[in-house]
Amino acid sequence: MAPSAPRPSSSSSLPSRAPAPVVPAAVKILIAGGFGVGKTTLVGAVSEVAPLRTEEYLTRASEGVDDLSGVDNKETTTVALDFGRITVNPELVVYLFGTPGQERFWFMWNDLVNGALGGVVIADTRRLDTSFASIDFFESRGIPFVVAINCFHGHNTRTADEIRAALDLDPQVPMLIGDVRVRTFGRDLLLALVDHLMELSAGAPVR
Amino acid sequence: MRPHWSELPEEDEDDDYGAGTMVRPYTITRGRTAPERDDLTLITLMTTVEELADQALATRSSGPRGLQPEHRLILEQCRRPAAVAEVAAGLNLPVSVTKILLGDLIAQGMLLARAPISVARAAGDGGLDLGLLTAVREGLRRL
Repeated sequence: MAPSAPRPSSSSSLPSRAPAPVVPAAVKILIAGGFGVGKTTLVGAVSEVAPLRTEEYLTRASEGVDDLSGVDNKETTTVALDFGRITVNPELVVYLFGTPGQERFWFMWNDLVNGALGGVVIADTRRLDTSFASIDFFESRGIPFVVAINCFHGHNTRTADEIRAALDLDPQVPMLIGDVRVRTFGRDLLLALVDHLMELSAGAPVR
Repeated sequence: MRPHWSELPEEDEDDDYGAGTMVRPYTITRGRTAPERDDLTLITLMTTVEELADQALATRSSGPRGLQPEHRLILEQCRRPAAVAEVAAGLNLPVSVTKILLGDLIAQGMLLARAPISVARAAGDGGLDLGLLTAVREGLRRL
């Protein structure tokens, strides 16, 4: 469809006696991190509905893909993601998308990352390296994010400073330590992200 | 305040078009593999236009222009606004297939689509919409 000739809004040509329904609009927050680090757990902790799952077919022809060296020879890949929702008010809904664990797929799914308000990267202190790719991804795309150090396995023997150093985190990036199964921790993470966005918005250039 | 979903009794998640369906996805779209419109995103919110949808749902015909079962399910689900991703999850169909079906209903005026709130201004020097962030913050504090 030619982008220069958009289909006219179908509602305008209809007899409209009934008042137009209030249609809310949505924003999106991405939940990232290595496989099994607790992405869906966090989504479920704060979502008002049980996490939903959906799938998309991704093909090698997807735009913006120039390096698929890690992907096998299949023409089409199916990627699943889990998501939840928080109805902020009648006009605004926040969707939380747990991103597929393998970041290489994200490049094939522009719709997933485009327009995201920000992200949460979950890391596990026993295998911090599994979250490097998520951090790199958000940094390279310029998507603001906060880091959650998930302690649901109960042992965190490293200090916050040690973890920050190991992750090579920018000092401005908020980092919270807690249990992603706990709703109040999930809430605090999202609030930290919004506060971070407000700080960034308040003027101070990041770099 | 409503209880969190995990405290509610479990709902029966089975439905007629759930995991048991043996219909190949692109049969449902009558062979179409690409949506007519490319402006639907994962979080475009869909709302049923009750008056028109009720008329169509009351009509039992399923001719070439008639409603398929999936269309009917979409119209019922979107009486409460739902994102494209939610509709796809509800139908247990891939997002791309779901978008084709949604496009049919939008073209017939039975479904309204609302694009996501743009956060692209963040890329410029204008920063994000502080009103939006404040609203999100207030909503999150109630969690």
